[in-house]
Amino acid sequence: MENLVEIEHLTVSFGSKRRATLFRKAPPLKALDDVSLTIGKNETFGLTGETGSGKSTLAKVLVALYKPTSGSVRVLGRKIDYKNRKDVAFLRQNVGIVFQDPVRSLNPTLTVREIITEALLASKSIPKKDYSERIDFITKLVGVTRDLLPRRPRELSGGQRQRVSLARALVVPKKLLVLDEPTSALDVSIQAQVLNTLKKLKSELDMSYLFITHDINVIKYVSHRLGVLFYGRLVEVGDTRTVDTEPKHPYTQSLISHVLTLRQVQLQETVISEHRPSPTGCRYRIVCPSAFERCGQVPTWVDLGGGHLVSCFLYDHGPGELAEVLAQTGGGQQPKDRPL
Amino acid sequence: MTPETRGPAIGEAQSAERTSGGNLLEVTDLTIDFVSIDGRVRILNGISLYAKKGEVVGIVGESGSGKTTLGLAILGLLDSPPAEFVSGSIVFEGKDVLRLKEGELQNIRGTGINMVFQEPLDSLNPVYTIETQIGEALKVQRKRGDGTPAKEIEGESKEEMTQLLRTLCIDKPEEVLERYPHELSGGMRQRVAISISTIEKPRLMISDEPTTGLDAYVQNRILGMFSAQRKSGETLLYITHDLTIASQICDRIYIMYAGRVMEAGGTRSVLQNPVHPYTSTLVASVPQGFEDAPPLAVQLGEPPDLRNLPTGCKFNSRCPYAKDICREEEPRLEEVLPGRYAACWRVNKTNGEFG
Repeated sequence: MENLVEIEHLTVSFGSKRRATLFRKAPPLKALDDVSLTIGKNETFGLTGETGSGKSTLAKVLVALYKPTSGSVRVLGRKIDYKNRKDVAFLRQNVGIVFQDPVRSLNPTLTVREIITEALLASKSIPKKDYSERIDFITKLVGVTRDLLPRRPRELSGGQRQRVSLARALVVPKKLLVLDEPTSALDVSIQAQVLNTLKKLKSELDMSYLFITHDINVIKYVSHRLGVLFYGRLVEVGDTRTVDTEPKHPYTQSLISHVLTLRQVQLQETVISEHRPSPTGCRYRIVCPSAFERCGQVPTWVDLGGGHLVSCFLYDHGPGELAEVLAQTGGGQQPKDRPL
Repeated sequence: MTPETRGPAIGEAQSAERTSGGNLLEVTDLTIDFVSIDGRVRILNGISLYAKKGEVVGIVGESGSGKTTLGLAILGLLDSPPAEFVSGSIVFEGKDVLRLKEGELQNIRGTGINMVFQEPLDSLNPVYTIETQIGEALKVQRKRGDGTPAKEIEGESKEEMTQLLRTLCIDKPEEVLERYPHELSGGMRQRVAISISTIEKPRLMISDEPTTGLDAYVQNRILGMFSAQRKSGETLLYITHDLTIASQICDRIYIMYAGRVMEAGGTRSVLQNPVHPYTSTLVASVPQGFEDAPPLAVQLGEPPDLRNLPTGCKFNSRCPYAKDICREEEPRLEEVLPGRYAACWRVNKTNGEFG
């Protein structure tokens, strides 16, 4: 399958201008560190991780709200030079975004029609006389009824606002839609409706999604492939079903085991310790129950077959070393969270 | 706009159970209106519920169902105006909260009833350090507990506070104590807010969506803490829109819609075998399975507009099973199975079958 988006060794740092003391600059904070991933055509790529893991940073890089510090982003085979205005325009022409908070992402002084028209005006992609036809088409598709068009965002419910955000993102046809926690602020029944709409839209409009959320139940339900971020580093990528049923990275295993589901009670009585990322080597090694000496180095990617990749030394070994590694780390058991 | 007629009264069986004693909290037929220049809106309509000592009771519903208003009313925090108590009572430990004077209420708040709010930034004071704020709560607890004067608490309190924060798995509690709320992450802030509530050892804790918008780990940390408290015999009223969370920690749940209780009963029983169509749609809305799973079965339409509710059952506009009677008369909350209550015309009152 041809890839729509190819991200290679993407690093985004913040805060290098901040001063730790009067004369010394604070070390830059790497919100994303050497992240590589691809998104195929018509694919939904799910990206998950805790708060602060860099999920939203990646979303914003894809619409040029942040610039990469290093690494490359290719969209439709074209390498994006973030300093080149034409490239940025090309990026925004092809990539749309829906933010988490529909209250803050819609201009409160404009009507719904104006909000959607603004996106058309900015793109200059179709002549003005076709605007109303296009708006009618897209609003019908995302489920914004005609009577909402003259209203302002504050007169809408949360679900309606999120649909307006969707209409604004898609009124200019996009190849990739970045959805940054699109349903986190919504009630469950409204979330279900929006998820259904998103699934329907994808097949009708022939596009890909980058779906970002911390809710594993949602991401399982929508995505073909899943990537797990831990403090700026991608630790595991693979087919959603594989990653969910056979997680390999100790962090993914712990994350999946903490997902609450409706039908079973599995709440763990022990309170989980705070995740402190390690500044060197594998970021998870401070809390990782399987950490050993090699984890002091930055882990390499190990291909487990079928597109399932994991960034962990536990799986990076020749056939002879396996027993040794397992003996050192107490076997490949499910990691348990240790109390402090 | 005129207020509607009184909402459904509680069923016979439920009143029998309620009066059997031992209930820490009893809300009976609570009806609250909000009055503004635009008119009068009924926020809660004939709500009846109870919580026994040591129970975790869930209040589940979508935005606008009146969950938070209920919590605030129990704590006596609703401002009047705009709120107007139309009828009903809220009895906590034998006292009607609605008829207490502000001074008496103040004595109940904190050590009697305590509430954790959804947004910790709004409930923590931005200009005081965490230590000052937890310390304040600790002083209240001591003063009411054994009458220790504030001065004597100073020395030992820090030790107790760090210990408490440590049990909440907060790293470096000494440092956290010196910080201000804005310097903490969302999950940490919420745990600090909860610690302020728990240090007062309230007899009833109300928590209003304490984990909404937080990731799986933080949710687990907070819920783990609540379930530990349950073990120590604390009564908890847990308000949430998330059925998954309710299924994990609540003994009994009340499903609310448009200011009414639609269904009530044991958590496991309600979620595994919902009888009210509203509960069924809520359960069906929780995403399950993978990308190739069928679309989620949800009802069409938006949450109810309280100013403009349909006549009859308030859920009828979104209900796929609505028939004529549902549009004419409002069903009462009745016992449909032992320990299970539902307000629906289509549920058979003798065997709980839907039909």
